[in-house]
Amino acid sequence: MSVDQLPLPAAALDDAGRAAAGPYPDWFSKRRRGRSLIVNPLVPAVMVGLPVLVIIAIVIYPTVWMFYHAFHDTNMMSLFTRNWQAVGWDNFALVLSSDRFADSVLHLLRYLLFGACLQVLLGTALAQILYEVVQSNALRIVLLIVMVLPMMLPPSIVGVLWKFLLQADNGAFNHLLIKLGMLAPTDRIEWLDADLALWSLIIADVWQWTALPLLIVYSGRVSLPPAIYEAARVDGASRWLVLRRITLPMLKEIIAIAFIIRFMDAYKFVDKVYVMTAGGPAQRSELPVFIAFQKGIREFQVGEAAAYAIIIFVVAAILITLFLQYLKRVLKAQGIA
Amino acid sequence: MTAANVKLVKTLVLAFLAIWLVFTGFPLFFMIVTSLKPVEEINRMVPTFWPETMRPQNYAGIFADPGSLKSLVDSLIVSSANTVLSLFLGTLAGYALARWVRGVVGENLAFFILSNRMFPPVAILIPMFFLFDATPWGTDSYVSLIVLYLVFNMPLATWLMMVFFRDAPRELEEAAYLDGYSPFRAFFKVTLPLVFPGMISVAMLCWIFAWNEYLFANLLTGTTVKTFPVHIPTFTLGSQTLWNLVMAFSLVAMLPPVILFIVLRRYMVRGLSLGVVKG
Repeated sequence: MSVDQLPLPAAALDDAGRAAAGPYPDWFSKRRRGRSLIVNPLVPAVMVGLPVLVIIAIVIYPTVWMFYHAFHDTNMMSLFTRNWQAVGWDNFALVLSSDRFADSVLHLLRYLLFGACLQVLLGTALAQILYEVVQSNALRIVLLIVMVLPMMLPPSIVGVLWKFLLQADNGAFNHLLIKLGMLAPTDRIEWLDADLALWSLIIADVWQWTALPLLIVYSGRVSLPPAIYEAARVDGASRWLVLRRITLPMLKEIIAIAFIIRFMDAYKFVDKVYVMTAGGPAQRSELPVFIAFQKGIREFQVGEAAAYAIIIFVVAAILITLFLQYLKRVLKAQGIA
Repeated sequence: MTAANVKLVKTLVLAFLAIWLVFTGFPLFFMIVTSLKPVEEINRMVPTFWPETMRPQNYAGIFADPGSLKSLVDSLIVSSANTVLSLFLGTLAGYALARWVRGVVGENLAFFILSNRMFPPVAILIPMFFLFDATPWGTDSYVSLIVLYLVFNMPLATWLMMVFFRDAPRELEEAAYLDGYSPFRAFFKVTLPLVFPGMISVAMLCWIFAWNEYLFANLLTGTTVKTFPVHIPTFTLGSQTLWNLVMAFSLVAMLPPVILFIVLRRYMVRGLSLGVVKG
């Protein structure tokens, strides 16, 4: 409905045909010209200012604190005696030269590649299958709900659950494989030992989070205009051609956004590492964020933990800047931003 | 493609779907089965895939520990209060960003607020510990968790509400002004109903996130306040984990988000995709 269709009571208009001043409080707006309301600039400033103040208190202040301590030898003792010494870039040198950090970065790359990327690929494929292959609408919704269930569990509980399922001797997963004939009855896969721990984490993560890209891409597919598909069908295009030339190009941005959201969450949350493997065995499933937690909270090497945190923070800042620029382009194209 | 090829592809696709359903469903199925077993049956060398002895009493058993009910109440308090606060601040700022603070400043401000949703929280945890320690209520309190979860939920709420307000036509509001509506009445009577579905999706996402959060709750709280993800690992007898109670309680705690999702799933996707998908 546009303005012109709305009934406009005559009383609202004065002789000149302009709107009469409404009952605005003085602090809200001072004057009005024609239809546009001139709002006191203080009003939006306060409205946006509140969240910005909250962010300054709970994000900026702590980040500055961490930056400060990344350059000091702060630990448990010096923190309580408030007696820390500036050490320059020593903490960063310590972190960057340690094998533990280098290993954790490699773990992270593997985790993001097989975790986040695989989740988006699987989610996209499943969304397509669900939409194209499953004919009954009710069945589709039931399948969608079943597939989304893992997402509704706390990540920590998913870690606990998979730790339970993947026990080598009497874990349900090994015995399921035996039942299905994919594993000899006497064989046991040691899912949580040094070689496989990271892969087990990835499996648990894929189990829980594939539903996120699935949901996003599925909804994107539902909202595509049916007319195009009708036209393609009339032209006799094969399903494969339709998928490759119509569906995927039109869903490109949505898939990318799903990837961005999944990628950043995988980058920053370590609940599963915490409860499933605790970084082990032998630090073989550690991620940088986990080490930072470990150093800061368990060992109270605040200076070193801060250096870890700052490195993670800077990498995140670069990635987020790139991602947000992309998001801005997508939203501009949609006319939202 | 030949007819045989089409058939082959179709079989492969269906096989993939079937494998995925088994992969997704099996852990959930085994959770339910485990929650109905007595402990002795869980500790066998070969796990049973259906309980030989049914013990639905496990579900009553979890509440024999008074901490269980309290942990659910604690989670409810923290997640609900945080959702209300996030939504309030997010709606205010989102409205201002959508209507009045536009241009370069508004755009950068909006993206700056959203960027906080993506930053790794590890950078703020230790200072937050000292920050809350210095306040009268301390770290182990409702306030600390409610405020801390704003780090994740408020930027998301602000961003999404801004997108929703931008989608709601400004002309309707201006028409209401012409009718002599005050800005508040115009907002509550005209704009708010338009963005209400969006608000539901924001509220749901914020609520589920706060309901399920573990790491911060575990590190900051645990005595006075104990949310359910922190409570679940305490189902032990000596060094033995009582898996049946762990699974039973996880399933009970999973119900609220699952019901929310089933009822409100139409609204959820828009929020999940940062407003990009018009679900």
